[in-house]
Order: sequence, then C-alpha cells, then structure tokens
Amino acid sequence: MSAHFTVHATPAAREAGAVTETVASLPATFGPMPAGHSGQADVRVVAGSSGWAAEAAGAMQAGARGIVVANPVPEDTSELAAAADAAGAVVVLDLRWAANPALVGEGSGADARGAVRSGLGSASLLDSVATAAPGTDPRQLLSDHFAALLAVAGRLDGVAILRLDTSGYTASGRLANGAPFTAQGVLTAARPAGVDIRLYTADGGVAVRVPDPDAAWPAEVRVTGPHGDLLLPTLYESAHRFAWRRLKEHLSAGTRPDDLAGFARLTDLYATLTAT
Amino acid sequence: MSHHIAPTDRPLGVGILGAGPVTQAIHLPALARLRDVLEVRHIMDVDAAVASSVAARVGATSSSSMDELLGDPAVDIVAICSPHQFHADQVIAACRAGKKAVLCEKPFAMNAEEATRISAVSTETGVPIVVGAMHTFDPGWLAAEQNWGDLPETAHTIRSSIVLPPNARFEDFATEILTRPAAGRPDYSDSEVLKAALHGGIMGLAIHDLPLVRRFTPDFEHVDVLQARHVRPFGYAVSLRTPSRVIELRAVMNGTWKPEWTFEAIADDSALRIDFTPSYVQAGSAVATFTRNDGSETTSFGPFGHNGYEGEWRELAGLANGTRQAPPAQTLIDDLTFALAIAEATVESAALDHAAAADTAGVSA
Ligand SMILES: NC(=O)c1ccc[n+]([C@@H]2O[C@H](COP(=O)([O-])OP(=O)(O)OC[C@H]3O[C@@H](n4cnc5c(N)ncnc54)[C@H](O)[C@@H]3O)[C@@H](O)[C@H]2O)c1
Repeated sequence: MSAHFTVHATPAAREAGAVTETVASLPATFGPMPAGHSGQADVRVVAGSSGWAAEAAGAMQAGARGIVVANPVPEDTSELAAAADAAGAVVVLDLRWAANPALVGEGSGADARGAVRSGLGSASLLDSVATAAPGTDPRQLLSDHFAALLAVAGRLDGVAILRLDTSGYTASGRLANGAPFTAQGVLTAARPAGVDIRLYTADGGVAVRVPDPDAAWPAEVRVTGPHGDLLLPTLYESAHRFAWRRLKEHLSAGTRPDDLAGFARLTDLYATLTAT
Repeated sequence: MSHHIAPTDRPLGVGILGAGPVTQAIHLPALARLRDVLEVRHIMDVDAAVASSVAARVGATSSSSMDELLGDPAVDIVAICSPHQFHADQVIAACRAGKKAVLCEKPFAMNAEEATRISAVSTETGVPIVVGAMHTFDPGWLAAEQNWGDLPETAHTIRSSIVLPPNARFEDFATEILTRPAAGRPDYSDSEVLKAALHGGIMGLAIHDLPLVRRFTPDFEHVDVLQARHVRPFGYAVSLRTPSRVIELRAVMNGTWKPEWTFEAIADDSALRIDFTPSYVQAGSAVATFTRNDGSETTSFGPFGHNGYEGEWRELAGLANGTRQAPPAQTLIDDLTFALAIAEATVESAALDHAAAADTAGVSA
C-alpha cells in the first residue's frame, strides 16, 4: 500500500526536522513524492528560521494540506493562523522539547502538564535548567526553554531576564499563586542537551527531564507525593515523531491542532523579554 | 576513603556546649561510631535538665556552666553546638582554655568583627578550629577534590540546590529527641520577617555549601546579587554573579519525604555533580559524578561508608593528636566573609524587590 500523504521538504527543513527518518517511521501514512511527479505535495516541511510563518502561509496557498514547522523561532503567526483557518490546513510545530509526548500527551493519558498543573496550587518553587552545547545562541535556547515551560505551566507572570551571556542565562518570574519560578540556561558540552523542570509543592513535587529529539530516548516524569515516587509511563517516541503522528491524526480526522495559539503565547512572552 | 587515625592509649575526651537536637541527633550518633578514638566526657547546656539527661545517655558529666566544662581536664576537644549568637565567644573561650581542638557548628560567627577576633585568638593560642561545614569533610567531596583537575579554574556555572523535609523527620531517624523548640508561624507579609528569613536561609542553610561554592569562585570577593526570592514555607532562590562565575542557590524545605541535596560545577567540557545524603542521618557519603562528552563519559566516586559529620570528628581527632595539620584560619575567615557578603546583599536585594513589588503588576504570559 502506498502512503496516503506525500511529503516535501527543502534540504534545510529536512535537516532541522530529521524528516527522512521520522517520515520513515510512519510509512503507511507519509511518503516522498513519487519520482517524476511535479505537483504540490500534501505535506510541506518548513525550517523554523526567521520568516517561517510567511513560508508556511505560501505553501498553504500553493495547496499543502499539512505543514510541519521544524524548530520555529518566535515570530508573529496571526496571519498564518488566519490563512490556516481559511484553507482548513493543519499546522503542526515540531518544537525541540515542548513537542515531546511526555509533556503534553494524547487524550486523557498522564503527562507532565497534568502533573504540574495539579501541583501549581500548592507550589513553592518552580526551578528549571536547560542545557545545550557551547556556541548555541542563548536566545534560541531561551525560546526552546520557555516553549517547554509554557507547555507544562500554562502561565508565567512577571518574567524578566536577569542575565544572558555566552555561558547561558537566568530568567525569573512568578507562578499563578505568586510562588517564584526560575529558568536557567547552561551552555556546556559536558552534559546531554535537554531541559529539567522541577516543581516543588507542599508535600512533594514533579520532576521532568526532557532529552533532545535526535533519538527516541524517553523523557522522564516523576511525581512525588505522600504515596512515594511515581514514574509516569515512559514513551520511546521523539518530539519529531510525535509531531508527525499528531499531523497524521488531524489529517485523518479532519480536525485542527492548537499549536499556533500556544505558540502565540511564547511569541508574546519572548517579545516582552527581548525588548528589555 | 577511610583515613587512618593514629590510635592513642586512651580515647580523646570530648566536651559539648549545647545539647539540642544537633548534639543529640548528629554528634552523639557520629561519635558512637568512633568510640575507640573519641569519648564524650562532658555535656553542658544552659538548661541543666537537658544537660543531665543527654549526658546520662552517654555516661558523661553534665553541667550548666561553660567554665565548668572548659575547666574539666578530661575534655580535650570542645564542640560548640549552642545557638548562633553564642558561637564566637564560646570558640574564643575554648581556645583560651588551652584545649587541643575546637569544633564550632556553622556558622562560626555572625559578623566580620567576630571572625577577626576568633582568627586572632586561634593564631595566638595555636588551637586548631574546625567549622561544622560537614560537606567539606564528606569523603564524596574529598574524592571529587582529588579528581577535579582544573575544574575550579574552568567552571563557569555553580549550583547548590537543597530540598529537605523539616529537620524532625531525619532527627527521628537518628535518635530519640529529648526536646524540640516550638515551630513558629512567621508572618512573611512583614518585610522585616521576610528579610530575617532570607538571612537565616543563607547563614543557616546555604552556608553548608558556600565553602564548596567558594572553591570554584576565584573572584569570590566580587559577588553581585541578581535576585533573591523567598520560597515558602522556607527556602530561597538566589542568583549571584561574579566577574567570572554564575552562582545559583536554591532551597526548599517543604513537607516532602524526598531529600535532594546537590552541588554542581559546570565548565564548557566537564561537569561535576555531587549528591549529598541528608543531614542528621548517618547515611554514608555523597556520590560525586564527573561527566564529559555530552554526558556519554561518566566517572563516579562513592558512596563511601561514612558522611561528613563522622569526617569532621576524624579530622578533629587527627588535629588533637597531632597527626593532621590545622587548616589555615584564613580559609574559615574567607568562607565566613563570603557567606556574610551574600547574606547581606540578599537581604538588601529582597528589600528593594519588596518595595518594587507593590507597584509593578508584571508581564503576564
Ligand atoms: N551541621 C548541621 O547539619 C546542622 C544542622 C542544624 C543546625 N546546626 C547548627 O547547630 C547549632 C545547634 O542547633 P540546634 O538545632 O541543636 O539548636 P537549638 O537552638 O535547638 O539547641 C541548642 C541548645 O543549646 C542550648 N543553649 C542555649 N544557649 C546556650 C549557651 N549560651 N550555651 C550552651 N548551650 C546553650 C539550648 O538550651 C539548646 O538545648 C546551631 O548553631 C545550628 O546552626 C547544624
């Protein structure tokens, strides 16, 4: 049986989104354009460097029904969202950490967002550290980091950057109940890249560790309470594959994801941060 | 990592000033593990009933006067475990009494003036002083020190994070506590109470690991506070910077059962993480882990069979019987000056935030 949806990616997008191997892991659903075929592919992959929203809107106008954006940088997506609404197209964001299935999973399954949100009422501190290789643009790291934090915490108030330099950054703010949160970026090649999120509550907390999406190593979510330490089921699926699988679900069911709405919150936050 | 302690004919005599939870749950259990070397001979507390009942547990003499304990010839080593404000004067008195070594629970002074006085007396009398910063005596830390190469020069980021249940949980694992001070319910809307809590957080809790932080901070004399936030019910989130280092301090004391006490020093291509065992219990040493190459190369040291509390006492025994060199008093002064500078700057920064918080709504995301 041939794939239902054909996929086209520029070399830059293919690289940024690990498209070849990810599409190969969903072979009944997605496949390359047949050789010699010249029409528009069903799905277009767009690299998330600056200008991606316009590129995605253009692809939609040219007839793509599905768009995957690999590692988008914060930018205004309101026109893209309107275009997607008009065309009934599906836009899925393949975010480095925030797209990991352990953070916001499918349906009613247990995930980090559920665990964190149920702890926010009695939160005393949310402490998070993102790690990436030296040479990484700290602003890009900050955006990957806040995308993950917003995915689980939903809302962060009074956010300010206290420092940002070649070794990383420190940012801080408040949770909904007024408790402090801190987000630190550390540039080092001594440790695997990833993000650690710790919520400390009155009688325990939640510990989340999300790895980079270049392998299917699972994120770890632990919920600590009077019952002990509960490890949520491990999901051996990378953020890349989970993004594509969501695309599949929406294309098949004719539904629309809320990726752009969620991303708009990151863009707004990022604009206030980098303006200062 | 067990150090050889030269056996003496007779164990060295220990006298303790202050017989509260720390003496009962930390020092007596640690000393019970070293009874061939050290023997508790005298326990003093201003509360005579506490002194006599704690002394009875170990078959020691008791008294309610410091002079009586310092005058007791059976006491070779004095441990000061009274509340903070008495530490400096008691350390000085113990040195003047000509004892062989003095252990002072942290912090060993509450201001620079006290620290200078102690240092002068220690130099004049030659009595070695050990401050109860137990992690600096933890075999896991000592193993890290043997193996960290140039990390103290190359690290750019240092983190100390302390997550602990209330002390009572671990005190009760360690002993049968006699008396416990009543817990208050501080009013944190009062900025003075908040400032006191932050000061107490730095001088009471962060201070355990500030000597470790300082080892990785060559320019420790130039520390700026980027933020100082109070964490409820007790704790802090403090971000510091020196010209060459980023220092992040976190602490949360909540109702959790799960302690997590870590120290990290991170450079571009190597990192150290130390996981310490909780306070009070004799739960073995910390584990020190070095990583390189995206975490694919890992080297670990520990756990060893004893913790830093026992390490402190081994050190004291070595100092008292002359098999070990006294640490330079300047190290203790520098550690204290560093802690005081952070505590003071933290309180100042919190006071500014408190004032600013009143008229800033903040950005909502
Ligand atoms: N190393 C550690 O892990 C650790 C942990 C907690 C506390 N501490 C330190 O240990 C010290 C004692 O802590 P604690 O929790 O037992 O304190 P505490 O205040 O509960 O008990 C101190 C005892 O000292 C007695 N005392 C009061 N004034 C005295 C005086 N002038 N001389 C002699 N005794 C006096 C009190 O009656 C009480 O029994 C403090 O300085 C604290 O910072 C160390």
